[in-house]
Amino acid sequence: MSCTVWNRLALIALVAGFSLSTPAFAGIRLITLPPRERVEIQLDHARVTLVEEERRVPLTQGVNEVVFSWANTSIDRNSIQLRPLSGPGKVEVLSVSYPPGQNALTWQVSSEKAGPALVRISYLIGQLDKTFAYRAEVSHDEKTLTLRQYILLHNAANEEFGTAGMWPGFGERIERPIGVNETRKILTARYTDVPVRKTYTADFARHGYLEAAKKQLRIPMHYVLQNDSAHGLGDAALRFGKARIFLQDGHGGAAFLGEDWAAFTPRDDELKLFLGVARDIVVKRTIDRREEIRRVGNLCDYDVVVKYEIENFKDSSAVLDIIESMSALRREILSDTGRDVEWETLGTASLNGKLDPERTTADEIVAQVTLPPRGADQQATKQTFTLHIRIKNEW
Amino acid sequence: MRFKPILVLIALLIAPLTTHASNIDLSTVPTRDTVQLTIYNSEDLTLVRETRRVTFKRGMNPLQFSWANTLIDPSSVDLRFRTHSGELDLLDTAYPHDKPQMLYWNVQSEWDGDAVVEITYFTSGISWSADYRCVSNPGETSMAFDGYVRITNNSGEDYADAQIRLVVGTINLVEKVRTLAERGVLSQNEADDYRMGRTKLRQMPANARREMMDVAAKGMVAAEALSPKEIVKEGLSEYFIFAIPGTESVAHSWSKRMKLFEGRDVPFRIQYRYRQQEYGEALVRLYLLRNDEAGKLGSAPLPDGIVRVYRDNGRDGLSFLTEQAIRYVPIGQEIELNLGTDPEVIHERIRLKSFRDSFWYRRHGVSVYYSPDEGHRIQVKDTIAGWDDHQQWVDRIRNYRGEAIDVEIRRSFDGHVVFKSGLDPKLHDYRTPQFNARVEVGQRRDLVYELVFKQGYNKKQDNVTLKRVS
Repeated sequence: MSCTVWNRLALIALVAGFSLSTPAFAGIRLITLPPRERVEIQLDHARVTLVEEERRVPLTQGVNEVVFSWANTSIDRNSIQLRPLSGPGKVEVLSVSYPPGQNALTWQVSSEKAGPALVRISYLIGQLDKTFAYRAEVSHDEKTLTLRQYILLHNAANEEFGTAGMWPGFGERIERPIGVNETRKILTARYTDVPVRKTYTADFARHGYLEAAKKQLRIPMHYVLQNDSAHGLGDAALRFGKARIFLQDGHGGAAFLGEDWAAFTPRDDELKLFLGVARDIVVKRTIDRREEIRRVGNLCDYDVVVKYEIENFKDSSAVLDIIESMSALRREILSDTGRDVEWETLGTASLNGKLDPERTTADEIVAQVTLPPRGADQQATKQTFTLHIRIKNEW
Repeated sequence: MRFKPILVLIALLIAPLTTHASNIDLSTVPTRDTVQLTIYNSEDLTLVRETRRVTFKRGMNPLQFSWANTLIDPSSVDLRFRTHSGELDLLDTAYPHDKPQMLYWNVQSEWDGDAVVEITYFTSGISWSADYRCVSNPGETSMAFDGYVRITNNSGEDYADAQIRLVVGTINLVEKVRTLAERGVLSQNEADDYRMGRTKLRQMPANARREMMDVAAKGMVAAEALSPKEIVKEGLSEYFIFAIPGTESVAHSWSKRMKLFEGRDVPFRIQYRYRQQEYGEALVRLYLLRNDEAGKLGSAPLPDGIVRVYRDNGRDGLSFLTEQAIRYVPIGQEIELNLGTDPEVIHERIRLKSFRDSFWYRRHGVSVYYSPDEGHRIQVKDTIAGWDDHQQWVDRIRNYRGEAIDVEIRRSFDGHVVFKSGLDPKLHDYRTPQFNARVEVGQRRDLVYELVFKQGYNKKQDNVTLKRVS
């Protein structure tokens, strides 16, 4: 058999231990081309893909040369290794030689006896990578959803792997044929009846005004999933990927609501999928009070009341997260001193009792309020909440 | 074979030879009998020691040694007599001006017959490097740790059947061998002219190169052995030498990789570390092992090299974990293999609270300080001159792995800082507290501490003081 063109990966066993300096042969040689018997593609590393393949190589007794060559593929030549799994006797790799200017190497392999040896060759390969994607189909009442997770395998490595096993680092092993320059989208998990919350967020520091003159905040909407077993998820961290969101229309179909990048979500964390800006929830934020309280010398406290006027024009109730950044608030009423903001809540302002202790930190207050739907007369009830804060020890 | 160092015995009647100006020569070419390469990895330097058998006649014997198309340092070429040294005398060495890669030796002989000469020289272009492959068992308690050496020959010369020794250690050179090889024994100006002209290393014809490779490849097979070579490791002063048994052939522009050592069941432990200066802003997972006998290693220091780490994934395959460079590891030193962040271990740092106290005031117009905490009366125009900034923090670790984990957190702070914690912290250095914790399977641990930054007038030191609190 002659072989002069090397488009892809090839493994050559040289019969009778004849020496070879290069796969671009000169002279008369006899070679065998052992095919792959098994391919495993390990996708569990965040950035790197490991390919393992098994081939049955005919060996003569003594020292054999096994040539591995590749062309038009991005194999990391330093990562290539050969491990004998079984053979006619003791099989060992003696050394590896790298010819100049070629994508090839030659293993010197000793065999105790003549016969076929099963070897595993592994290497890191570029342009064979994966991404993740999600399809979230939300029930008509927006209480639950079905989440499908896909792995998208992109094979631009210019190599056909046949039917290969794959492992993305979690879940079950997948077996699929992988063609040249093929992208294959494979369902890796399907979670049904996953409870979902639809949230609205009033966060001036992050999202600013929708209409500054009226002090009306931009209110982003999210579907929030909890990645834990109590909420039908939690097998593993959810990997970063694009999520397409659909809403069942109640007539057997589904409307496309949009898409968002799903962040890497560890177990027990929340996955928030952005839906857009709400127009039916109107939140106006004003600073009602700013009072400087001189203490000692030039040391001052500031008494601040932030007022939220909220109207829900939807025909269903809604949950609104109100987030107030203390450093942003200080910038509004004072200036950025560069010091940490020391603050405390005061009195019986309506939001003071609604703080979420798990999410409230040194710099951020998080409170949650429930908004009733608009009335039967189609009028929304305006609710007013206040946050009374003392910013302390400034100068 | 062309383009090799050649030793020529010139049959001339004129003696001694100053510059070889005659037009008609008769030469014999003694072949290389043995060759030894001592390759340094800290510099582009290889010491070549070769022997040849030369026939001398009584009287003056001119010898020509040339090294076209190689990277030999002419100033390093040396001739010694291994036999009949009492009857052979090297009178002088001449470097012809018009033939930069050549020299002549004039040997005065009192002997008629064969003698073994040893020629040594430095060449550049031959290098060696180490690399390592680690494969952890599925339970991540022990690993196979294999070391390899790879020799690369770009010296312009084929070395067939060479004894090879690899030197680990740093040496000092005042001039690079490659520079000397290019400059020769010419002045710098002459060398520049020379380089501008016709004397660049020639590209070898493809057929000549293939011929060389075939010879080298045959040499490889000729040295048949059914087991990998056991490389001999030997300490020598500040250096360590790896000697490859037997001989090896490495043709120009080829490289060859051989096993340096094989470690089996090498024990290691796993630790998660946060050290911003060493590993960046992330809690990273480390395999920690030691290059000593207890660690099933320790037969030699580990030269600089790339480590590739895999884990037997328990499903008849490997998982690639990381690839990293390690610096020279002496016998007895710990080896850190940084696997990066672990998606199953979540680390968050949350600031819970900030506040200030311990205020000191400066009286307007004078350098006198007052504190209300000391019962001093503060006036309206007094200004803040010192205070303590308090920050309460939590390092929150969540462990979703199937086993308990050990965590070490090391954070550095500038200024005068008090580190208050019940975490039993220790000071790694004057500004770096360190604390450890164990996080059980499926558990979350909140590692809480308070930092007090002494500011302004309150700042008396530039260090961290530990204060243990319950």
